[in-house]
Amino acid sequence: MEKGKISSLQMAMLMYPTIVATAILSVPGITATYAKQDLWLSPILASLIGFVTVYIAYKLHKLYPEQTVIQFSEQILGQFAGKVLGFLFLFFYIQTTGHMIRAYSEFIVGSFLFKTPISAIIVSMTLLCAFAVHGGLEVVGRVAQLFFPVFVIPIILLILLLIPDFEIGNILPILERGIMPPIKGAIVLSGWFAEFFLIIFLFPFLSDRRKGMKYGMITVVVAMMTLVVVNLVVFFVLGITTASQNYPLMNVSRYISYADFFENLESIVMAVWIIGAFVKASLFYYVTVLGTAQWLNLSDYRPIIWPIGILIVQFSFWSLPSTMALARFDFEAFPLWGLLTQTLIPLFLLLIAVARKRKQTGSKTS
Amino acid sequence: MNRREEGKRKGERKVRWGAFFATAVIIIVIILFQWPKMKQAPKKDKWAFGVLLLIGWGLSMFDLQHMGGPTAWIEALFRPFGKFMEK
Repeated sequence: MEKGKISSLQMAMLMYPTIVATAILSVPGITATYAKQDLWLSPILASLIGFVTVYIAYKLHKLYPEQTVIQFSEQILGQFAGKVLGFLFLFFYIQTTGHMIRAYSEFIVGSFLFKTPISAIIVSMTLLCAFAVHGGLEVVGRVAQLFFPVFVIPIILLILLLIPDFEIGNILPILERGIMPPIKGAIVLSGWFAEFFLIIFLFPFLSDRRKGMKYGMITVVVAMMTLVVVNLVVFFVLGITTASQNYPLMNVSRYISYADFFENLESIVMAVWIIGAFVKASLFYYVTVLGTAQWLNLSDYRPIIWPIGILIVQFSFWSLPSTMALARFDFEAFPLWGLLTQTLIPLFLLLIAVARKRKQTGSKTS
Repeated sequence: MNRREEGKRKGERKVRWGAFFATAVIIIVIILFQWPKMKQAPKKDKWAFGVLLLIGWGLSMFDLQHMGGPTAWIEALFRPFGKFMEK
């Protein structure tokens, strides 16, 4: 169905914005709510979930090298249970894509385009992503590769320009209230790191499969380091008020003022966020469409891109009357929900698959 | 209560015709562009395409923002966890 191939470096460049783009904006505020000055510990703890997820995905891929999770879950669990599980995955991806595009649009409407109706922004983003998905995996991969420097360099620039505003003492005392607050912050963050499970949809299409695991792990490390640095930078500048901000990195970027020339750099944050959200939404959209086509045993995934686009737009509104409702879902339900579908269920799949393979080889030798 | 909220309340009881017709127009455009390319496609693909569009069209009749649904169910399922995090 998908004949395109991407390199494992492209896969890393695709996964990095997928995790980091939405995280750098809202994560400092979320982790600071729970962990206060120890917020920099949370990404390190949460990255454990990332490593475990990539490892599980790679092991599953080794057992079924040519297939994605939608296909081999039928072989592991039998046809009926496999279809049910596949439906759960697809539902999760449609819903998450919708929520992600909604969060992006809420940010744009809330911070920059105050008078634009939100549906206009949601629909235009979905349309743009649909065109990328229509090109197939190679196009999505190349788009990510093309945008990677545009995504990373402004972030580095922003951090460097903020150095004079640092108040390093803000993070002291370390672990004032024990280890529990950073762990709570890490639980919320682990929802993001569990999204590394998307990598299982990319493994079968790699041109250099042996490097898949290595690049997956590197991506987790780099994403973790980025989040630690961003958390620290935001906290060095804003201190304890980080917790009360929705988009702390945006507020921080307003502090920059160099030679009366480098000012109002929040537009950079917006640009980075749009690029990252586009790459992220395209990957999620692509995975949803590919998965649905495989789930229904279709001959091609392109015809269902547009119908699924409509569903994504509808899911971005469903049961979410306001930004507050979306934020509440993201804090209270999404971390565990994401962890359950993206790490725990695949772990059980892996255990069952290993047990089955062992039984097969055992009966052959005896 | 301002006029906008009043409008929202009314919207809860009525079908939102604007969204309904807008979705219908989008669906017609999708069919116009996609159908000629699908002449050669197997029957199954055509069915999937049609049924997914129908689901989308059906959902556009409801006031999704103020309606229960999968998202609300999942939130209810994980409420104990939310309470744990608030502590």
